[in-house]
Amino acid sequence: MTGRLTGNWGHLVTAVLIVCLLLAWEIAGQMKLVAGGTLPAISAVILRLIGEFDDYWPHLTATLRTASTGFVIGNLVAVAAAAMFCLWPFSERLFRGINITVFTVPPIAIAPVLVIALDGDTARITLAALLVYFPTMTAALTGMQTADPRVIDLVHAYGGGNFKALYLVRLRTALPAILSGFQIAAPAAVLGAILAEFGSGARWGLGSFLLGSLGRAEPDRLWGIGLTATAISALGYVVAAVAAKWVTGENKALSLTVSQVRAAPAQGRLQSFAMVLAALLFPFLVWQGLIWASGLSPIIAKTPFGVIDYLFLGKTAESAQARLLVALSQTVPITLLGMIAGLLFAFLLSLVSFVSPAIMRAILPFALFTQTMPLVALTPLAVLIFGRGITVTLVITISVTFFAAFVVLAQGFALIPKSAFDLVESYGASTWKKLWLIAVPACGKWIFVAGRLALPKALLGVMIAEWLATGKGLGNLLNQSRGYLDYGMIWSVAVVSILLSVALYQLAELAERLLGNGRVTRD
Amino acid sequence: MSISITRRSFVKASVAGAAALSVPGFLTRAHAATPLTMQAAWINDAEFCGYFAAIDDGLYSEAGLDLTYLPGGPDVIPESSIIAGRADLALTTPDTTIKAIVDQGAPFKIIGAQYQKNPIGIVSLAKAPIKSPEELKGKTLAVPPVNVISVEAMLAINGIDKSEVNIVPYAYDPTPLIKGEIDASLDFTTNVPYTIEQQGEKAHSFLLYDFGYKTYNDTVVVTEETLAAKRDLLVAWLRASRKGWDANFADTAAYPPKFAETWFKGTGRTIDNEIFFNGAQKPLMEHAGGIFTMDEAGIDANIETLNRIGIKATKDMFDTSLLAEI
Amino acid sequence: MQGLPLSFTDVAKTFTIKGEALRVIDGLTLNCPAGSFTAILGPSGCGKSTLLRLALALETEDGGSVKIGGEDPVIARRSGSVGVAFQDAALLPWRSVRDNVRLPFEVLGTAPDDDQIADLIELVGLKGFETAKPGELSGGMRQRVAIARSLVTDPRVLLMDEPFGALDLILRRQMNLELQRIWSAKRPTTLLITHGVDEAVYLADRVIVLSSRPARVVADIKIPFDRPRGPELLREAEFHGLCDEIGAYLETGREAA
Repeated sequence: MTGRLTGNWGHLVTAVLIVCLLLAWEIAGQMKLVAGGTLPAISAVILRLIGEFDDYWPHLTATLRTASTGFVIGNLVAVAAAAMFCLWPFSERLFRGINITVFTVPPIAIAPVLVIALDGDTARITLAALLVYFPTMTAALTGMQTADPRVIDLVHAYGGGNFKALYLVRLRTALPAILSGFQIAAPAAVLGAILAEFGSGARWGLGSFLLGSLGRAEPDRLWGIGLTATAISALGYVVAAVAAKWVTGENKALSLTVSQVRAAPAQGRLQSFAMVLAALLFPFLVWQGLIWASGLSPIIAKTPFGVIDYLFLGKTAESAQARLLVALSQTVPITLLGMIAGLLFAFLLSLVSFVSPAIMRAILPFALFTQTMPLVALTPLAVLIFGRGITVTLVITISVTFFAAFVVLAQGFALIPKSAFDLVESYGASTWKKLWLIAVPACGKWIFVAGRLALPKALLGVMIAEWLATGKGLGNLLNQSRGYLDYGMIWSVAVVSILLSVALYQLAELAERLLGNGRVTRD
Repeated sequence: MSISITRRSFVKASVAGAAALSVPGFLTRAHAATPLTMQAAWINDAEFCGYFAAIDDGLYSEAGLDLTYLPGGPDVIPESSIIAGRADLALTTPDTTIKAIVDQGAPFKIIGAQYQKNPIGIVSLAKAPIKSPEELKGKTLAVPPVNVISVEAMLAINGIDKSEVNIVPYAYDPTPLIKGEIDASLDFTTNVPYTIEQQGEKAHSFLLYDFGYKTYNDTVVVTEETLAAKRDLLVAWLRASRKGWDANFADTAAYPPKFAETWFKGTGRTIDNEIFFNGAQKPLMEHAGGIFTMDEAGIDANIETLNRIGIKATKDMFDTSLLAEI
Repeated sequence: MQGLPLSFTDVAKTFTIKGEALRVIDGLTLNCPAGSFTAILGPSGCGKSTLLRLALALETEDGGSVKIGGEDPVIARRSGSVGVAFQDAALLPWRSVRDNVRLPFEVLGTAPDDDQIADLIELVGLKGFETAKPGELSGGMRQRVAIARSLVTDPRVLLMDEPFGALDLILRRQMNLELQRIWSAKRPTTLLITHGVDEAVYLADRVIVLSSRPARVVADIKIPFDRPRGPELLREAEFHGLCDEIGAYLETGREAA
């Protein structure tokens, strides 16, 4: 496409931009321009990293092992689950509560329970796998569902069942989407591993190294650890991105597929009511089952009834409700704000990537860095620059929410067939015209997928900010409760935050149904 | 609320098995020794020097113990480890332990106290020192969320309304203090002043203990079940651990360098830091009756302090009979 | 291999779209004897494609029955005796021409006949493009891949839904000739849905004209021309007369609705 920087020129622009950004970082560090020198110069970070590399090595390999094992397990489960949901749409509804729970449960809330319920490495791998699951599952499912219905018909016409269609058509169709899921999953796995190492008393791992280094007030070490973590994620990201680019080219639809509106079979009122009821109850059944299987004391492991007892029936109820309500009144408003900010940021970023891939490639390494650098290491910098009010909360929330949404949107833009652009270009449309006429409408479905990925995460971002910087709301309550061995409150906060996230998720779906009226009914 | 630990033995067996496979570095095995697992309160640093000394010098083996040492971390709530059966004994903060006993009927007993005086204190910069609770008024103080209750109690004891102090979360990094974003932080006074001096500032600190918040720290806690079943082992552990601490305190600069390639390898901290820590903690731990002693006055002071913040501690939560057997 | 008879008996089909019931086919009966070539003409949206989807068991009839060789279409398609080509080529973009043509074998789970694949690719004039991906082909070439694919299993029933609709006139004529040649050689029972009256007359033994929704048979015309039919047939007056006659039926059919 003309009008866009391509080929060698594009790469040159990328290189120049990266050099400029690094130079700006170096100068800011050397001159102590940011937060009184809290941002170290990149040269100082790298020199220290090289000097201390022997110390890094055992930590690096430990994190690499944990993260990659979690990455593989989480993604395998995710693709298998997506296949199941695609084959039996009712199972998707049944598992919806579980899926959103896995996605939205704050790692800071489950880590203490994971650490107690599972042994060392298993707990760490589990956390990494949990963070990987949802983005890949969502991307894979969407990919499988967007398979060309005519080809699916063809498979059926030769007597192939849904399995054959899955194996021959849907899986391969979903490959670019699955790979874009991997791109989100790679930094998520590394972050999950590091967070678990950080908390769980692991002897080795970048997270453990970070925890030991935090108290030393040496930002260059912290940034060195962040860079190392980013390098690991970048490795995974780049492999997935290169593979995605390769298969996406082949996958580009030959023409814009008009999604076929299929008549939904009539479903009785009673039947759909039963479905909703099952979907609501299922997560609680799984919850109860897991607690039973873990064999943990009810002091630590609360069942659904344990939480109800704690919040409504027991002697703790009144004080618990009061504390929870105060925390909610502090957390909810800012979450709604953060949600909008995060999605807007992701959208703007994907527009940049569409208008100028060269600029995007330059920004990408820095974006990736924000995903793998544990926020706890950036807290001093964040509070020194942004204070401890709304601004710091919004910044942290954006950094937690934007990445997944951005990758999905960028993928959506990339899947638009060339012919669609050639058409408007032949009428002399500018890049921006193309954007508004073709790109934005065509990736409609992806905007909603991005929304579903970003919205529930907003709450997590706000809770992290509360825990690290502002000392208010649910995030703070959660942390204080740990000091009191108040697992009743820990579970209550976890449940409330999940319910809130589910509400946000449903909000995103509602918006999809109201605005994106061409949605295909599949059941 | 009642506590059921019916499936605990299963969990314990699998955990012990997995632990033996995954953390060989922390195992010191002796023939025919009885296994015992301890859960520490934090990652490896000088706070646990005495145990490392006792392991490396073979004191636990001599006492017939095969000790597994589990490091702690922010997500490890040590009491949880003993409830879940992952460890036999844990080093805890007494307010958390006692609150759990009172509020949830947790079956805990405190059988010893590592720190006679809790090392947590208010740390500020010497150029803008905060020397007493009174001087915290109108200041910003960073406190780890888990310790907010202690700070609020100390303020109340000193007649200061908590709304007069701006309490914000503390995320383990002293940089905001050094850069003046906050005026003071709550931290281990045995540790963070060293870091501050390394960054070219001087620190000033005072213990909460010295302003009426008279609690132990790193209390040795077991479940009643373990106490009944493994009493001899626990006494042996207390005896060997005390020997380890005594050896360590003979020269506070002697042991930390020995652990440079083992216990302290790759922790991200420096040996000089650990030597400073080790020296600073000595006066907070020593007692005429020996390390871990819980004397009448000390227990009373803990009970009184906790009662003031509404945690109804009682004498029977402390069991001094094992110390008497050392 | 012989063609199988295809029959629609008193078939009815209703769709519910956005809560509204839409009767697409109402009591339609049509018998295609073994080895016959039937073309179906009708106004847009009259339910022609639904007829074909019923024969493929992609839809289930609400009333009446659809049989292939006297059995349920599900059985026929599973045994590999049905070949199909849609209006759109519906190729897998990541597969080469050869692998796309091979697809039916993979779905059926039978060993692919590599000679047959090569022959058919040659037959539709794509020799030399075996390893090309659909993205590298023109629209007409893609459609020819789809034709080759529909024939690759030696089907006893061939169902085609406007397979040449997207092609230009010259290419279409050429494809018509080729289709006739292939059909004459194997004689599968063929049902061709089309918009082109001349195409229907040129290829079929019999042309059925359907009314607009709900679909009924307006006319059933026997095509008397001998086979093989050469391109010169397209210029004969008799041919054009027949086309005009059918065109008239199409118009009245629409008026009647």
